[in-house]
Amino acid sequence: MKTENYDTVIVGGGISGLMAAIDLTRKGKRVAVVSKGDPVCCLSTGCIDILKGVDSPMESICDLPENHPYHLVGTGGIDRAAGLFLSVMEEAGLSYVGNTAQNRYILSPGGTRKQTALVPESMAHGDMEENETLNVITFKGMKDFFPGYVTAKFKNAEVYEFDPGIGSTLGIATKFDDPVFREAFVSWFKSQGISGGKIAMPAVLGTKPRVFGELARELDRKIFEIPTLPPSIPGLRMFKALKTCLQDSGVDLYWGRAVKSVEKDDDAIEAVTLAGMGRSTRIEGRSFILATGSFVSGGLYARQDGVVKESVFDLPAHVPGNRESWFGHNFFETGHGIEKAGIRVNKWFQPEDTGIPNLFVCGSILAFSETMKYGCGHGMAIATGVAAAEKCEEYLA
Amino acid sequence: MKTEFEHCIRCTLCVENCPVFRVDKDYPGPKQAGPDAVRFRAGNEAPVDEWVHKCAQCKRCDVACPYGVNPSELIQAAQVRYSEEHGKGLAATLFAGNYYLGLLGSLFAPVANAVTKNKGMKKLFRMLGISTYMTFPRFHFRTLSRSWRWKGDVKRKRKVVFFHGCYLDNNAPDLGRSMTGLLADLGIRVKVPRQVCCGVPALANGDLKQAKGFAAKNGSILAGYIDRGYDVIYSCTSCGNALTQEYPGVLDAPEGKKISENTYDIHEYILMLMEAGEINPDFAPLNKRVAYHIPCHLRSMGIGYPAAKLLRMIPGLTLHIHDDNCCGLSGSYGFKTKFEDNATQLGRIAGEAILERDPDLLISDCGACRMQLKHFTKLSTMDPTELLRLSLSNRP
Repeated sequence: MKTENYDTVIVGGGISGLMAAIDLTRKGKRVAVVSKGDPVCCLSTGCIDILKGVDSPMESICDLPENHPYHLVGTGGIDRAAGLFLSVMEEAGLSYVGNTAQNRYILSPGGTRKQTALVPESMAHGDMEENETLNVITFKGMKDFFPGYVTAKFKNAEVYEFDPGIGSTLGIATKFDDPVFREAFVSWFKSQGISGGKIAMPAVLGTKPRVFGELARELDRKIFEIPTLPPSIPGLRMFKALKTCLQDSGVDLYWGRAVKSVEKDDDAIEAVTLAGMGRSTRIEGRSFILATGSFVSGGLYARQDGVVKESVFDLPAHVPGNRESWFGHNFFETGHGIEKAGIRVNKWFQPEDTGIPNLFVCGSILAFSETMKYGCGHGMAIATGVAAAEKCEEYLA
Repeated sequence: MKTEFEHCIRCTLCVENCPVFRVDKDYPGPKQAGPDAVRFRAGNEAPVDEWVHKCAQCKRCDVACPYGVNPSELIQAAQVRYSEEHGKGLAATLFAGNYYLGLLGSLFAPVANAVTKNKGMKKLFRMLGISTYMTFPRFHFRTLSRSWRWKGDVKRKRKVVFFHGCYLDNNAPDLGRSMTGLLADLGIRVKVPRQVCCGVPALANGDLKQAKGFAAKNGSILAGYIDRGYDVIYSCTSCGNALTQEYPGVLDAPEGKKISENTYDIHEYILMLMEAGEINPDFAPLNKRVAYHIPCHLRSMGIGYPAAKLLRMIPGLTLHIHDDNCCGLSGSYGFKTKFEDNATQLGRIAGEAILERDPDLLISDCGACRMQLKHFTKLSTMDPTELLRLSLSNRP
């Protein structure tokens, strides 16, 4: 059996775990990230929602229920985390607009206004008023985008169709990476005589960060992207930027293998072993961060008998009442009881009632986060990821 | 039939990672080609989906899937079944027997090299369905298996057998000798054992029976050495993936589990000895910007990137990891005219991503990746072990 030794081993390769890894690496720690697969943030819009339904997330954090994990981070911590995120994106050439003090809007694929806080530059112009003129460019053969939903919401809207030769979001985005294809697209665009108003396109303008900026310059119009069904290119761009940042700083990523077993020495976690076909890989760490996400990502699972389990360290999970109280009647309503399930932590982000000194928990696996209800998924991920990393660093010191 | 495909929640993370889906509008991607289609393939119905062969078996979908579904395995089973029921075609039959081509090529190396370079022959190759956008790898008569089989004296604590596979043996024997030399210099006794092809080319070209035949032969040879205290070392990551992942899995080799547990990537092994305090190589500075293209089959083994860890110990060396793109050649995939378009598009994409970081040098563990990316980047290429040797030899 092979052994690897790190200051911190992060279990979970989503946005929360990766932000924790970046924070610790920048403080000179030797970090490994273990992930059993790609994270759900690859399927997201790439926007960072901090708190929805309010004008200013920062001013309204204090109105959240007192057990909400945001209170453990505090507004200062949220700002620090957002600042770190924005600087990492900037370095990757993936500029963002917006801030934590003021929510803004992007245009959703359903034609509605979606509220969020930090927005990729490519969606910045998506803050549309009903009476504005909108030109939607769609792509021939593209199955995952329906311009009719968007144009139905606007009085002055036109749809134009371009044939990119391939129909998938990933295929079209790859084409846009190619300057020759972009040139052909720009000359088609200029031949269409598109009148005033903004230009909206599904989010396929390049898999690489800088493509959007170049296209915007070449078209010389106010263009913006509308998020699509997954595969979601903006989510992928964000994930790749975080990953490249870590790889450039020498962080080891163990991808595609789940944690099979955990070793403890007294109360402290000593090592995790990764499942594999042959020889196991044992990863030793002085500290561990759990960022495996909630039910969808497999960090938590619920049994028929009403027990909720944590998948990696078998931590005690908070269960919001009996099974009957987990779900509301309407699937699309928010605030289902089960959203409160997760790991309860103390103010150092250590799991409560376990006595484990060197384990820190962050992201949507935290109890009471209710990310759907409060529209705070990525915001929570970033804020608690960096906050848990800060506590972990204090522990290591 | 394994039932893991039922765990698919259709999240499309596999699709986001599929290189072929990226460039080929006629390939439905791993989600549909794998778990979705399996539901319809059960039973005795003949498969009708010729597009299953478009999958290059890079296994990026398996690595991406957080739910434990391995779409590439499902697709591979469909590829084998399709080939069995519809025939493989001439090019695939030839490439499946790559081992024998290599034997012939190296025995008659000057003739073989003249043939593969000849313009008229290239036309013939294309008629046979073999792509010629790149020059074929050169054959060498003095293969690894035809040179001295031992390095390092008997008294050494660590004994290894080196699984070189076909490429190092026939097409890059000097590199193979340099690798065994590196191990010997580090105080390890190295033997090049008798061996046949690992089986990957046969499996990739739809010939499970032939692949299993190779695996059975290697399995009994390697298990014999392991029982006598040897560890198995590979450098070719596709051979490595076969030995560690497929011998105990789809190829069902005798003692497959034992082989998987005792087989190491060359860099992984060096690191292990360093961590155990048995060796302490002293790396001299190399002032280079190096792009490291990670072969898909290194990724799929889930052992991390051991060469990167070693190379980061070299002072002055800047390392950029490139693990988001498949080079597109994927062994014999890109050598078939029907996939040439996919292979060249993917080669260009991977090459551009590398050039964007402005490296002095491109390294990769896989000979096929190096060949393809040299073609698309015009950079000089090296195996990671060559860079290690360069650094170690710089010490006065």
